Amino acid sequence: MRKGSLSVNVTAVALFALSMFPFYVMVVSAFKHQMQIYENPWMFAAPFHFDNFSEAFRQIRVPIVNSLLVTTIGIAVTLTASATAAYAFAKYDFPFKNLAFTFMIMLLMIPGFVILVPQFINIKNLGMYNTIIGQALPPAASYTAMGVLLMRTFFEGLSRSLYEAAEMEGASDVRIFSRIVLPLSKPILATVAIMSGLQIWNNFVWSLVVTTGDKVKPVILAITTIAGNINQGDGVKLAGYIIASLPLLILFFAATKPFVSGLTQGAVKG
Amino acid sequence: MNEVAYTPPRGNGLLRRIRKNKMAYAFLLPAILLLSTIKYYPFFTSVVESLFDWNGVNINRFIGFGNYAELLGDEKIRVAFANVFKISTATIAIQLTLPLLAALLVFRIRNGTLQNFLKVGFIVPLVVPMMVLVLLWRWMYSGDFGLVNQLLEAIGLAGWKHSWLGDPSTALWAIVFVGFPWVAGLPFLLYLAGLQSISSDLYEVADLEGAGPIRRLLSIELPLLASQIRLVLMYAVLQAFQLFEAPYILTNGGPGISTITPALHIYDQAFNYGRFGYASSIGVLLFAVLLALTLVIQRSVKNTDKID
Repeated sequence: MRKGSLSVNVTAVALFALSMFPFYVMVVSAFKHQMQIYENPWMFAAPFHFDNFSEAFRQIRVPIVNSLLVTTIGIAVTLTASATAAYAFAKYDFPFKNLAFTFMIMLLMIPGFVILVPQFINIKNLGMYNTIIGQALPPAASYTAMGVLLMRTFFEGLSRSLYEAAEMEGASDVRIFSRIVLPLSKPILATVAIMSGLQIWNNFVWSLVVTTGDKVKPVILAITTIAGNINQGDGVKLAGYIIASLPLLILFFAATKPFVSGLTQGAVKG
Repeated sequence: MNEVAYTPPRGNGLLRRIRKNKMAYAFLLPAILLLSTIKYYPFFTSVVESLFDWNGVNINRFIGFGNYAELLGDEKIRVAFANVFKISTATIAIQLTLPLLAALLVFRIRNGTLQNFLKVGFIVPLVVPMMVLVLLWRWMYSGDFGLVNQLLEAIGLAGWKHSWLGDPSTALWAIVFVGFPWVAGLPFLLYLAGLQSISSDLYEVADLEGAGPIRRLLSIELPLLASQIRLVLMYAVLQAFQLFEAPYILTNGGPGISTITPALHIYDQAFNYGRFGYASSIGVLLFAVLLALTLVIQRSVKNTDKID
């Protein structure tokens, strides 16, 4: 087992370094003015220009707030719709159960681009063009299919006797759902929240189509047009890219476990 | 009369069961409302409107299969599907090798600290928005001072300096190249999770039998990763055929139409030309192609056999 383990370590670290290289260059250059990037793009160099970050932040401050709103609303919609539906599937045995479940899961088979155009007209007709809610609903609906799938499995894994005991005590269905099932399901709620949040925050195409001007522009669109003045140059753009990535990175390091399980489970179930 | 009364009360029984479970339907309501209005209604509109000359505003005229007839002769469609076919082939080749190699390496690292560090480290780029990665590469490709060209100069290959995105013969491959070395991503995570779920008994048996690392890979790891490999294949195809961000930002389909994709074409026809009906027909074609490819992959790559 010992044999070859040094070469394994070295190769793995080398691959990792290569993967990180573009991000390394991005961070290095984000602190530079244009001339410093020309002179030596590969290393950190003094003076560090934090003004790149303040300038970039000034340009994408409002879009960040917009994105936070869109993402929060989207997560709330996904969680509500998936948790209630998953509860129905897990607790009850009702006519047309399989049909209803197929109806929800079928959505996973429809690629986003296929419905891009009519979905745009639909949202426009609903009066949601260029609004926060118009940006949040479609991606939230998309992730609801996966949410129902993941949560149904989890709810069904909760002990049957739990439901029965609660019913004996005379607890209503709504009460069982809100006081027993939801509190016991925090891990899966976190997983679904994080996964839908990730997709909504990163959703470029839909926001490109359904927004115009600056009113509700999300950060993912705003970063494509960040610009610095002649001196600052590209450093400002790169600083903006870093700022736009930070919320998700912070979330990732704060909740690595639900993140990783969300990514793997989401893929495996899908 | 009597006969009618004696037929099993199926309708009533069903109704009774529905009434008894009315809470279940109430709990289903939010999701059903959301999915039907926001997703399924547009999907059916898409299929129907693909038969119409539709501009989304005042023109909505039935033209039968007119849009589909036009698809057949559309040079952009041919190039777009050829492009995503090339891209998905390249993506599949990449994702079946490099991330698997990385996962195997990380799995075999004995030093716990290093292993944990790399496990997390290879996942971090998954969290960075795709758009940030694309924009970063746009910056690295740009002009003479772009980092790609600077790097070539630094390692003595100044003669290779090139306008990577501006030349029709390299632009498509420059788009595929985004994300090099393509290790950190979902495939890595899936492979690693798959490897970790392989029972250690199997490895002990392999050790006893004196199987080397290659033998282990071929007889244990690859067969037991079949499910993951199938998933990676499906993801690669689904993503490649819907590729939009990278060509939109890097080349906008150019030079000429050399990097156009079906997604770009849909966007362009609908939002630049107002041809919503035609764009819908491209969407339906894309749906049909993806459905067919998904079925082919599901039929041809087996799921992992259960080992008890």
